[in-house]
Amino acid sequence: MSFILRRIATTKTGKQIVRDQPLPGDTITLGRDSANTIHVADLAVNPHHATISSTDGRTVRVTAQEGLGFDLNGRTETVADIDSAAGAELRFGGHRLTIAREEDKIILLVERIDELSQSSKDVDEVKAFSLQGVMLSKRMGAWVFAALMLAAFLIGPIWAWYSYKNVDERPGGYHADSAWLSGPLSSAHANLKNDCQSCHVEPFVAVTDKACVNCHTGEHKAMSMAHAGAPTAMLLAARHPPGVGEKILAGFAKTFNKPQGRCVDCHTEHEGAGPMAATPQKFCADCHDGMQGRLKAAGHPTMLADAADFGTGHPEFRPLVRAAPGAKPARAAPGKGTVDYNGLKFPHDLHLQATGGVARMAASFRGRYDFGKQLECENCHRVEADGVRVKPVEMERDCAMCHSLAFETVGGVTRTLRHGEPDQVVADLTAYYRSTPPSRPLQLGGMQRRRPGAYAEGQVYNIYFNEVATRPSRAQDAVRAVFSKGGACYDCHTIFTPQAGSGWRVAAVDQTPRYLQKGWFDHDAHRETACADCHTAAPASKASSDLLVPGLRQCRDCHVGEGGARLVKVETATESPCAMCHEYHSDGGKPWMPPRQRRKNTAAITNKPLAGSYGVSMITGTGGRGLYEVTWRTPALHAARRGG
Amino acid sequence: MASLFQRRRSKATQVERVRERQHEGFLRYAGFRWAKISGGLCLLIIISYALVDVTPRHNGGSWYGYTLGTIGALLILWLTALGYRKRRMTNDYWSLKAWTSAHVYLGLSLIVIGTWHTGFQLGWNVHTLAWALMMLVILSGLYGVIVYATLPAALSNNREQMTQMQMLEAIRAFDRQLHNAAQPLTATDSAAVLASLDQDPFAGGAWARLRGRYPNCATAAARVALAASQSSNADARAKVAQLLLQKEAALARLREHLRLRALLEIWLYVHVPLTFALIAALSAHIISVFFYW
Repeated sequence: MSFILRRIATTKTGKQIVRDQPLPGDTITLGRDSANTIHVADLAVNPHHATISSTDGRTVRVTAQEGLGFDLNGRTETVADIDSAAGAELRFGGHRLTIAREEDKIILLVERIDELSQSSKDVDEVKAFSLQGVMLSKRMGAWVFAALMLAAFLIGPIWAWYSYKNVDERPGGYHADSAWLSGPLSSAHANLKNDCQSCHVEPFVAVTDKACVNCHTGEHKAMSMAHAGAPTAMLLAARHPPGVGEKILAGFAKTFNKPQGRCVDCHTEHEGAGPMAATPQKFCADCHDGMQGRLKAAGHPTMLADAADFGTGHPEFRPLVRAAPGAKPARAAPGKGTVDYNGLKFPHDLHLQATGGVARMAASFRGRYDFGKQLECENCHRVEADGVRVKPVEMERDCAMCHSLAFETVGGVTRTLRHGEPDQVVADLTAYYRSTPPSRPLQLGGMQRRRPGAYAEGQVYNIYFNEVATRPSRAQDAVRAVFSKGGACYDCHTIFTPQAGSGWRVAAVDQTPRYLQKGWFDHDAHRETACADCHTAAPASKASSDLLVPGLRQCRDCHVGEGGARLVKVETATESPCAMCHEYHSDGGKPWMPPRQRRKNTAAITNKPLAGSYGVSMITGTGGRGLYEVTWRTPALHAARRGG
Repeated sequence: MASLFQRRRSKATQVERVRERQHEGFLRYAGFRWAKISGGLCLLIIISYALVDVTPRHNGGSWYGYTLGTIGALLILWLTALGYRKRRMTNDYWSLKAWTSAHVYLGLSLIVIGTWHTGFQLGWNVHTLAWALMMLVILSGLYGVIVYATLPAALSNNREQMTQMQMLEAIRAFDRQLHNAAQPLTATDSAAVLASLDQDPFAGGAWARLRGRYPNCATAAARVALAASQSSNADARAKVAQLLLQKEAALARLREHLRLRALLEIWLYVHVPLTFALIAALSAHIISVFFYW
């Protein structure tokens, strides 16, 4: 019975040298300690690790000594009996003990199989010293990230579109294509946030007008009559020649199938929450700036003047006027239109004077009417309930406080002539003279007998009874006086004397309710401004045919172009895009404007320019002007209201 | 004609050689040529943005926005091409240095091109995602330029003329000596030394590499354990402790080297994958614009 310890050395050339060494005794010790039969210089092996023994020379018993076991066929054991003929491999720390049998000898082969230390292992220098060893590879990261992006932001949204392709309205909840939302929708469209397909119907097809009209049915019928009626060739000719940028944009649009002239060209979306932006000036000026020349060159001559910017390039207003007495109203020719015959005689200067008869009369009525020390504009001109326009002047309401038509008092009730009905005036006067005797002189005496001479010509009796006899015919004189110079009617009206077949006639009075038909003016928005600040001609106007509608110059005292462009010095500028006064959809109403913007502009007007340069505003002051806080006190003409 | 080109080329090569001799880096290549070009481009964009009147407001969908967007997208693709260019050896005019210089400066100008393309309209959507990825890629690249300019000096100081493998070899030598010296130690003491031998000097994740801190260092632990131990032969212990101290110093040098290299390389692990994420997001951005046209 003998154990043989086999050692294998490998030469540098790879050749193996095998040395066998017989071991004495039946029991062999194995350990790190040099006293052991088999000395294993391995720190993972205990000083006295195990004993190896064999009683019959065939079976080998391996027993671990100091707690640490050994590995046999992958399991840690402390005792193992091994048939040497079958052989086995045991593991002690970094060493392998192979047991085999050759002839009748038990061969023990001990060799180091593990590296001495981790650092001794072979390393790939490039990998070990760089981050490659500890990070996910860049290539893998690139693929993973790119795939995630494509899945979440390309395939997902297209899938969302595809799954609701033929659905009218998407259900609520999250849809992957909301990741494509380029900006918040305007407040009016906010409910479409999750339903991209409500506007973007077909893929790769630009949003069509059809998508808009599907919901917007009413508005479109009243849209832009002036533009809808124009031939397309004319509209195209009106457009300004494209600049470099627009050529680029047009190139993009053409290349990628984005037609021009759609609703969304002006009504841009995804520009942020809140109301849709007001149409900017440029959308109008793109055509209207220099349009006259372009249209003429293209064979579409037009009357429309060029307009580019309110502050610098806007034609003079063309108010609706009657150029001659009785003429039909027509828009004044450019540069003219300083007269407007409305059929009345009314000197504004006389009525607005701070001193003089009118002012004194007004002062004498203080307390009874809304008068101050003199007449103000609002004493006669009343605004409509909505505050936008001024009501036509009504004789009974606005003039009769001073210009009374009273002619008789019966039992404390005043009788007035019927305004607006000349025939009735004639009849009333005639009846008055017929029904009332002349006042009886005192000298006429009582019932005593009179001497005959008292009836002689030139005597009281004669005068009185002659008067009684002729009194009814006096009515003719009174009627003539009323309609003639110095009479109540003649003062204000143009009178036509009786012709064959007609009696006294009064020229018709035409008060124009809206002078500026193409633009919108809101008196309410200008309530902080004194009337005479804009109606500058009023305090000096001697005739009612003077047109007192303010011109472009007065507007430009405050209003400048959208970008602040101006020709004159402006103290507090109000930026005014075209859409502030002009309504594209021409429904006759107020031009639409975002409420926020409207408020801002109104506030800007409060600081009015050139205050104090006009006489009236200087005297009346600006604060708390009564025009809009008028208490509608009824004039003391109840009888006239009831029809005389 | 051919000779004319030949001469021009040889002259260009000559200039290149001079530059090479003067150690002209990619940052100051050709007297900051690309810095000037890209700075001029940025200035042009900022000024024209202020001057150009786009209705209703600046955004990516205006003609100006489309122009900037097209320039930006093409530029991104060209910048990405550096990855292919650097793998191709050429002796053309466009040296890799020239290409890198243009990459850096034109890449920085993309901050202006991309941001001004947005019209400063940002939100939680794929469009802003593409912009954000672009900015991350640019910032990581900026970091890369900075560390390339500053860290190599520190790397060189730390190495002290040693190569990487020499640093590793020093540790291996200490390991062998430790193994021998620890033979007389008791089981408990030798276990601590064994743990030091069994620990991979390259162990620790990316985070440990970047921070250069290894709280679980077995070598340091073994030194502490041995100092406290009384069980083994004092002489043997002292020898092992001395060796452990030396191994620790060698490890510290290697780890500092690894830390500096990690700092030099980490940006590429952001720059490259995010570039491809950016290209994917950019594709989604462009397709989405045309899909919902």
